[in-house]
Amino acid sequence: MLINSVIFVLQETLEAALLISVLLAMNYQQKQSTRWLFVGFAAGLVFSFLYAFNMAEISEWFDYVGQEVTNATLQAAITVFIALYALSLNGHKTTVIDSSPSSNRLFFIAATVSVACAITVEGSEIFIYMSGFFQPTANLQTAIMGCSIGFATGVSIGVLLFYILRSLPSPALRATALFLLALFAGNMLSQAALQLTQADWIPSAQAVWDTSQWLSESSVSGRLLYALIGYEATPSLAQIISYLIGAASVLLFAQIKRHRETSTP
Amino acid sequence: MICPRLRPKAPLRLLIILLTSLCSAPLLAATPVIELSIKDHLFYSAEIEIPANTKVKLFIRNLDPTAEEFESYELNREKVISGQSKTVIFIGPLPPGEYPFFGEFFPKTAQGKILVK
Repeated sequence: MLINSVIFVLQETLEAALLISVLLAMNYQQKQSTRWLFVGFAAGLVFSFLYAFNMAEISEWFDYVGQEVTNATLQAAITVFIALYALSLNGHKTTVIDSSPSSNRLFFIAATVSVACAITVEGSEIFIYMSGFFQPTANLQTAIMGCSIGFATGVSIGVLLFYILRSLPSPALRATALFLLALFAGNMLSQAALQLTQADWIPSAQAVWDTSQWLSESSVSGRLLYALIGYEATPSLAQIISYLIGAASVLLFAQIKRHRETSTP
Repeated sequence: MICPRLRPKAPLRLLIILLTSLCSAPLLAATPVIELSIKDHLFYSAEIEIPANTKVKLFIRNLDPTAEEFESYELNREKVISGQSKTVIFIGPLPPGEYPFFGEFFPKTAQGKILVK
């Protein structure tokens, strides 16, 4: 029971923790306020609770595929808002003081919404998992301890990534964080495609390749890579295409912003 | 008599035929449904046989009061099933082989596999 809880909560926490740590590192480089973290986290907690509480009903929507459609919408929203976040980033020469108010507003909205959506998807599963602890047969103390260890480990990995990124010089920090965000956005859009395939809204096809013999998705490194870059041993063509679109849109939007900054006197 | 202007042009007619045939395709080949239940954190049946290269609809009833998460790395599927509820998961088309699945909330007991033949 203890090890199950640790692994489950760690897995669910990791994705959101990694996103938050990369955004925080970028925040450090951009010298912006961290208000988005508190608003996004609070909104994510509220929405994940509401989603978990109504999961049985939502699942019955669209002929029993409501859960897939909701998750896919949230994941696609994360991709869109990370791309908008890239569009709001300041270059090396401009700082928050001389950047436009609309750019700062977009920065805040994009960071808040992407964090809130990420917490809603993962947090709802944790809430549903924890609801089982209140059954008479469950060992509440062990389960809560397992969840706490899993959560703390996930947060620690996020903190570690934050300090690694922060130790980099400013241009390298920006480039690395942007690259990680692009992978994260690609991963989210790829997961959205997978959800819609599971719902039979996208026609399913056989896997394009199979790397499970080299790195199984169930192994520790496989799971870590899944959370970090969306590693999938047997991806479908729809997943690969959506991954590339998601990642490319973030890099493209960042490039558009940079181009705009250099072209304006 | 139909006014020549209102008569659909050849490419449009082709598109209409294509769309109608696409819409009626699911009616011609209905997706097979396989029923599964979860009771006392166990899958019934724990072993399912499905035909190769065919899309299948898994209809899962969770009879337990607690939620469960259907998960399979090999099938690339993951879905939360609330307590005392039912749900649907589409799988396949798959090449022949063995595809294990498990309940992520109770992985010690909730184990099963899909045999594709």
